[in-house]
Parts: sequence; structure tokens; C-alpha cells
Amino acid sequence: MKRRTFHMPNDLRHVDRTVLSMKACVEPSLGASALLRFEISVTEALVNLVKHATTSDAAAPIDIELHDADNAVCVEICDPVGAAPFDVRDHAPSQNAADPLAENGRGLGLIVHCTDHIAYGPKADRMCLSLTISKSGD
Amino acid sequence: MIQTTTHDAGITIVRPGVERLTAANAKTFKDDVSQLIKSGASHLVIDLGGVSFVDSSGLGALVGIYKLIGLRGDLAVSGLQADVAQMFRICRMDGVFRIFASVEQACENLAGAL
Repeated sequence: MKRRTFHMPNDLRHVDRTVLSMKACVEPSLGASALLRFEISVTEALVNLVKHATTSDAAAPIDIELHDADNAVCVEICDPVGAAPFDVRDHAPSQNAADPLAENGRGLGLIVHCTDHIAYGPKADRMCLSLTISKSGD
Repeated sequence: MIQTTTHDAGITIVRPGVERLTAANAKTFKDDVSQLIKSGASHLVIDLGGVSFVDSSGLGALVGIYKLIGLRGDLAVSGLQADVAQMFRICRMDGVFRIFASVEQACENLAGAL
């Protein structure tokens, strides 16, 4: 298993650069469809944190771990310091239920739609979101 | 940010001028195009041929532009790359926007309805 860590400044301007760096790491091991699902879900998860997770230390980076295992790629994204727990699974509308003419509110549904497994729980002193993208079926 | 050209039939072609239309730039994109519409542009083709990735914020900006044009004009999008087309399908945007393979086809369609 390959493991990489990333520390993204808590700022929207850094999301794309971070996602592209992560994508480059998994590009050799994911098919085109899985790679897009990876890119969408990680982008939406990071944007959601930067836009909505209130932190007591805005200067602290968002910590991310990328695990590239035999059968799947897993991304662990830790909530910013002091953020209230937020489990996307409890708030994500299904893609079919979403209003196609809404200008926002698609992100959480996309995270759920594009991942094969989601977990959310404590890790050390933080809560972490874990997104798994399977390598099979692509 | 946006780049615009005008087609013979009075159709304005808008290119976002970015490779990724995402939360980092979606608001600027929407504000720029909204200004264009308020300045009188009513028939728009948004050419996404140079855009390789669109996130939910980018889609939201496109929907906002679509709603702003409303009945005062017409809107089409063109040139979707494979990943952008897939994002449109996932979010059912292919049922909202008229989508054309090329900017020329989009202009031809809009011009025919003028």
C-alpha cells in the first residue's frame, strides 16, 4: 500500500491544486471512470470543508491522507480544528431528488454518489471523513 | 476572466478562460456573464471546449446564468469534454441545457431560432 499525506491551506484557491496533486498519485492505478469519481468526490469534500466548517484556527491546514491499496483508493480528510462534527451521509440528498435548477446544494450528494464507501469518525483529536473508490468495475 | 466573441447573428460566444470551472472561480465567472447579460447580450453560447473539469459550484454558476437569461433570450453550451459531459449527466444537467458538440453547431441552432 502506498500512502501520501497532503496539507492544504484552508482556502478555496488551493483546492484545485491539491486535488490535481492527489489525482496524479492515483492516475496510474484508477480507470477513467473511477478517476473522475475520485476527482469529483475529493473536490466536493474539500470545498465543503473550506466553505462550511467553522474552525478555531483558520491558519491551520486541512490534513489529508491518501492510501492506494490493492483494491481501492482511500482518502482521509480531517476536519479543521474546532469544527463541529458533520457527517455528509446525514445531509446528502440523492441525485434524483436534487432540483436540477438549484444553484447550490449538489456537493454532498455528489460525494455520496461518486464514492463506493464513506466513513466518518474520530482519529486522534479530530473527526475524519474517509472516502473509498474501488478499483474494480471500471 | 471570460473571453467573448460575437457571432454574425448577434450571438455572444463565451469562453470561461479557465481549465477548471470550480468553487475557486465560479462566482467570478457567473458575475462576469451576468454583467454581459445586463449589458444586453441575450443569446449566448457558453463554449466549454477548453474546460476539463466542472464541479458543483461551476454547475451552479451555469444554472444561475440559465435562469438569468430566462425568457429574454437563449442559451446553449458546447464542446463538453468527456469528464465534463459525465458531470452533466450525473447532475442531470443534460436535461436542462441544450448541448452541442461544437460552438458552430450551437450558433447555427440559436441563429435558426432568432
